[in-house]
Amino acid sequence: MHSKVVAVVALMGLIASGCGGSGGGAQSGEESGGRSASLDGAQEGGTLHVLTFQEGASTLDPQRVYTGAELGAWGSTFTRTLTSYQPAAGKDGTNLVADMATDLGTASEDLKTWTFTLRDGLTWEDGSEVTCADIAYGVSRTFAAEVTAGEGPMYALSYLNIPEGDSDFGSAYPGPWLADEEQQALFDEAVQCDGQNITFNLQVPVADFNYTVGLLAFAPVPKDKDTADQYGLAPFSNGPFRVESYEEGVEMVLVRNENWNADSDPVRKPLLDKIIWQFGVDEAVIDERMLADAGDDKNTIVYGGILPENLQTVFGDDSLKDRRTDGFDGFVSYTMFNVETVNCVEIRKAIWLALDREALRTAAGGPFTGEFATSFVAPLLAADYEPAKLVDGLNEDGTANVEAAIAMMDKAKEACPELHARATGEGLRFDHPDSATWQKNIAIWIDSLGAAGINIIDNPIEASKYYSTINGDRGDLMRSGWAADWANASTVIPELFGQDGGFNYHNNENDPAFAAFQTKIDEAKAETDRAKQSKLWKELNQYVMDQAWSIPGSATKSQNLVGSNVRGAYQWMPFGWYNLGAIGLAG
Amino acid sequence: MIFFVLRRSIFAIVLLLIVSAFTFWIFSALPSDPAALTCGKNCRPEVIEANRIRLGYDKPILEQYGGYMKGIFTGRTYGEEGAAIHCSAPSLGYSYDRHECVTTLIAKTLPVTASIAVGAFTLWILIGVGLGTLAALKRGKWQDRVATGFSVIGVSFPTFFLGLISIMVFVIWTGLLPFPQYSGITENPWKWMTSLILPWFVLAVVSAASYVRMTRNGILEVMNEEFVRLGLAKGLKRKTLIVKYVMRAALVPIVTIAGLDFAFLLGGALVTESIFNLPGLGKLTLAAVINSDLPILVATTLVAAVFIVVANAVVDILYGYLDPRVRAK
Repeated sequence: MHSKVVAVVALMGLIASGCGGSGGGAQSGEESGGRSASLDGAQEGGTLHVLTFQEGASTLDPQRVYTGAELGAWGSTFTRTLTSYQPAAGKDGTNLVADMATDLGTASEDLKTWTFTLRDGLTWEDGSEVTCADIAYGVSRTFAAEVTAGEGPMYALSYLNIPEGDSDFGSAYPGPWLADEEQQALFDEAVQCDGQNITFNLQVPVADFNYTVGLLAFAPVPKDKDTADQYGLAPFSNGPFRVESYEEGVEMVLVRNENWNADSDPVRKPLLDKIIWQFGVDEAVIDERMLADAGDDKNTIVYGGILPENLQTVFGDDSLKDRRTDGFDGFVSYTMFNVETVNCVEIRKAIWLALDREALRTAAGGPFTGEFATSFVAPLLAADYEPAKLVDGLNEDGTANVEAAIAMMDKAKEACPELHARATGEGLRFDHPDSATWQKNIAIWIDSLGAAGINIIDNPIEASKYYSTINGDRGDLMRSGWAADWANASTVIPELFGQDGGFNYHNNENDPAFAAFQTKIDEAKAETDRAKQSKLWKELNQYVMDQAWSIPGSATKSQNLVGSNVRGAYQWMPFGWYNLGAIGLAG
Repeated sequence: MIFFVLRRSIFAIVLLLIVSAFTFWIFSALPSDPAALTCGKNCRPEVIEANRIRLGYDKPILEQYGGYMKGIFTGRTYGEEGAAIHCSAPSLGYSYDRHECVTTLIAKTLPVTASIAVGAFTLWILIGVGLGTLAALKRGKWQDRVATGFSVIGVSFPTFFLGLISIMVFVIWTGLLPFPQYSGITENPWKWMTSLILPWFVLAVVSAASYVRMTRNGILEVMNEEFVRLGLAKGLKRKTLIVKYVMRAALVPIVTIAGLDFAFLLGGALVTESIFNLPGLGKLTLAAVINSDLPILVATTLVAAVFIVVANAVVDILYGYLDPRVRAK
């Protein structure tokens, strides 16, 4: 996970590290990439180059990968799953399609049993057949704390009908390496194979489990090829490309998988012969090369964005219009309240009213870094996204209103005098990762809340230990950020605010408003009508806003520039990056 | 001479043991928790604790050090049962961030750093000593002024600046050279050389500058010695005198500095490797610093220390050869 966190933080840091976007000339506004996003003139063959400042991928191991761009990139090239997303730009890209499965699965009436049928002719890179047992084995790896270490999504643990137990993850099944026969039987009961059919028995009703199995964590792994912690160095392919070589700090080479059976894959239409990722390239050099657009760089895309100081150049030059993109990356940043210790909605709202989000955005680099979030659901999640009504009293443009904050604090003095005294006296503890960005941000927090008489106790936590720390010891406020795991707010609202939500640090279960909220979450999770479900998620998002359990920060954006021969490089909505496997080259 | 070499070698081994213990202790005392670093965002405290035990970080520091040193000679196994990973001797640990044995990583990166170091070092010694000698012999003339001017300019340019400028000029703007992408000398000698030309020159320009000064000053100082005047008075040819006597005496301090500089370079040309994207020891170390990858940090520090200690020993021995008075002591 560490590398994944670094990858995400690095990307976020890049986005948030400042730019001159507000100074006239180029301003942030969504751009789709023009001609480079279409397949206009694309031909079969050729080598695509990917430049990145990162020293490597976060991981190639399907059960560990949890970075949006990589989920999309590996999924479109060498790791197929039962379901995946339509390879298309815009909202169509969020449509779920059958991939290794013949359809989108069949659920039992109580939504606790899901069955998928495998297509005929699915093959591994050595030509052998992809079997149901391979998928079951892949899923079982998520339970192995000693290998996957909580890096990837944990839905297999929370959904599959396996009792709690003594494993490091608190399950009765400790994963394929440490399980005895009895423990293995528990897993085999939860994930059953019958010829081409695979059945998942769940402990809770899940209406969109067919989205869950689209995560690479549910991808197959052949047991005899599994090298445990080292599997990510040479994963076995069942997609149109295979990993020829991977060396961190150097490069990764993907070549066409000769044993991929196109007839078994209705989703992928690969054009390229080869994809070469070059790791560790200096960011300034990347930007210069992309702007110069010479030689192989015409056939190049970038993983990591444009340096803030070059955004004006890129977005101020119309000749680059067909090569640049500016769009949401799927993340929403927010600040959580510990509702148990800040148990007074007036105080929470006063903090929200006083917080200078504009100053925070300016410090981060201005409009290119993102837009003020009006929902905890990112705009990329088109079906479930709707701007919510924010706290009463904010300025129209969503910026702080200190007078309203002071008035709210006066109300708080009546409603919760003890907490009011603490907030205006010793102060409220703010937990955040210890980073250069947050050293700046916390000063803005202290200043802006101070104007409303609220004091903050700064509590920086070493970045690598941040989440494991707040898992146990939580301050009054904590910062975080989130992107949906699949194109459904079921991976946002319940995860961040619901009971047993994997990332719910709000301690809100004892809030008087929680019971009704949770009931509605359960209703939404079990709702099979997507339109009705979307409506419920929007209402739940509004509910959180009304209770002010969290303060939304920014819906973050990223910008990119591609080489002039690149085609089909559209922003794939579910993943916030290109559909790597669909890219082609012109000329 | 044999006793001299033996004495120096024993001293080097003792020094390495001390350095290794100190390095191990220093990194263990850092606030970063290596067990926490093996765990993802979904991590539970139980997983961190289990990983701490798996990695042996729950044991007393002396026991950890003992296990580490033993691993160097016998190899080590990390993890349990079917998921265990074995790192053969000499095992310098296992990186849970890179998912590889640290020795393997060092074996991959060391040839890159060595390629940079040997080429750059050769160039800078040739340029530095050559220009320094020329400046001394042509003292006060235009050659002297050009050489000393070069040394001032060379010293003033930081490596990262010169590196970026050279990439812009030779790769991006003129396209005279391909963007450096390392390839092993045995795999593709041409690509090996083209990927290293710029780093060699950048390092050579930056480092040769101080050698110009040292050589110039050293030669001028020796030329003022009585034995030089005596040699000239007795009719020794100027060329013979300079090559056989002056240079030998003037090179003694330069050999010392050069030996240590070369050893430092072998420990990783951190900035150069990063700018030119060369996957050497320096870049490995930098990534380990960013990711708080302690096993790699300990190992690269130890490897760098080995180079320094060995270089020191070699310099001492060379010193003894160049100046027999050292041996006599």
